Amino acid sequence: MNDSNEKWELRLYTAGQTPKSVAALANLKRVCEEHLAGHYSIEVIDLMKNPRLAKEDEIIAIPTLVRKIPAPLRKIIGDLSNTERALVGLQLRPRS
Amino acid sequence: MSANPARLDAEIAVLKQRLEEAEDMRRAITSGEVDAFVIGDGESSRKVLLLAGAYQRYRQVVERMQQGAVTVSVSGDVLFANQRFSDMLGVPISKLFAAPLEAYVTAPDRARLASFLLVAARNSAVEVHFARHDGASLLARVALAAFADGYLTLLITDLGPLHRLNDAGDALNVIHDALGALAQTQGLDATARKSVDAIGAQAKRLAVLLDAVLEATPAAAVAAQPMSESPPTLSR
Repeated sequence: MNDSNEKWELRLYTAGQTPKSVAALANLKRVCEEHLAGHYSIEVIDLMKNPRLAKEDEIIAIPTLVRKIPAPLRKIIGDLSNTERALVGLQLRPRS
Repeated sequence: MSANPARLDAEIAVLKQRLEEAEDMRRAITSGEVDAFVIGDGESSRKVLLLAGAYQRYRQVVERMQQGAVTVSVSGDVLFANQRFSDMLGVPISKLFAAPLEAYVTAPDRARLASFLLVAARNSAVEVHFARHDGASLLARVALAAFADGYLTLLITDLGPLHRLNDAGDALNVIHDALGALAQTQGLDATARKSVDAIGAQAKRLAVLLDAVLEATPAAAVAAQPMSESPPTLSR
C-alpha cells in the first residue's frame, strides 16, 4: 500500500486492442486499485493511432508502462501479468 | 585527465537504468508479454509493427465500423473502445479508460447493465441510456459480441436514428389520416381538392422513401434481432 498522498501519474503505451495491450490495462487497473486506490491516474496512449508519441518516452516494445510521477521515471515492459514484478517495477515493493 | 566522481556516479546510474530496461525488455519478449514493437528511427517513418499481421486488418475494421465497439473486463472496466463509441458519448477515447462502462450509463439503467454484464451470453442484448458528455441521453442497444479470456466485447448501436425514423413514420400517418378526413369534406372547391390530392401523393412518396431509409439503417437491422437479457445457457 502506498502511504504517501502523492498522486501517481502512470502512462500506458498500447497498440490498440492487441491481447497484450488489453491485458496490460486490466492488470494495471487491478494493481492500482489494490495498492494506490484514489491516488493514481492512468493515461493510455495508443501508438497505433500516433506512433510518433513513442519518441517522448523512447518506447520500443508494446505494451510499456511508464511511471511519470513520483520521480524517478520508471518503465515496465510487458502485460504486467506478473504482479510481483509489476509491484517491484513500480517500486511499490522492494526488490527481493 | 581526472574524472569528476559525481559525474561518474550519475553516468553509472544512467547506464545501470538502461541495463535494467534492456534486461526487462529481454525478459518481456522471451516470456511473450509483448505483441508489438515501434520501428523506424525518423519522425515520419516511425510505425507500430504487430506480431500478428492478420490481427491488424481485423482491428482496422473494428476501428472504422459504424457501430460502437467496446471491450470491458468482467468487473466492467473499459479496456478498449473504438472511435464510433467515443463519438457517441462525446468523450475522447483516452478518457474512456478512466471509468467503468457503468459510469457512462444513466443512473436508472446502471443496475440493468451490471446484471447484463454478469450473465450475458453471445448475441444477447440490453437497451440502456448512455449519458453523453454534453448532458444529453443516448438510447442504445448493447449486445455481447464475444467473451474470451475474461473480457467481454460489446457492440453498441445508437437507436436514436431508428426512433427518429419511427417518429417521422408516425407523423406521416397523422398527415395521411388528416388528408383522408379533408378529402371527405363537402364543399371543397376544385383548387383545394387538387391541393389535397397533391399533398396525399407527396405523403405517399415520403412514406416509400422512409421505408427505404429505414431498411438501410443499421440500427433497424439490429433492432429486428431478438433480444434476450437472460438466456438459458451461459457462455462462461
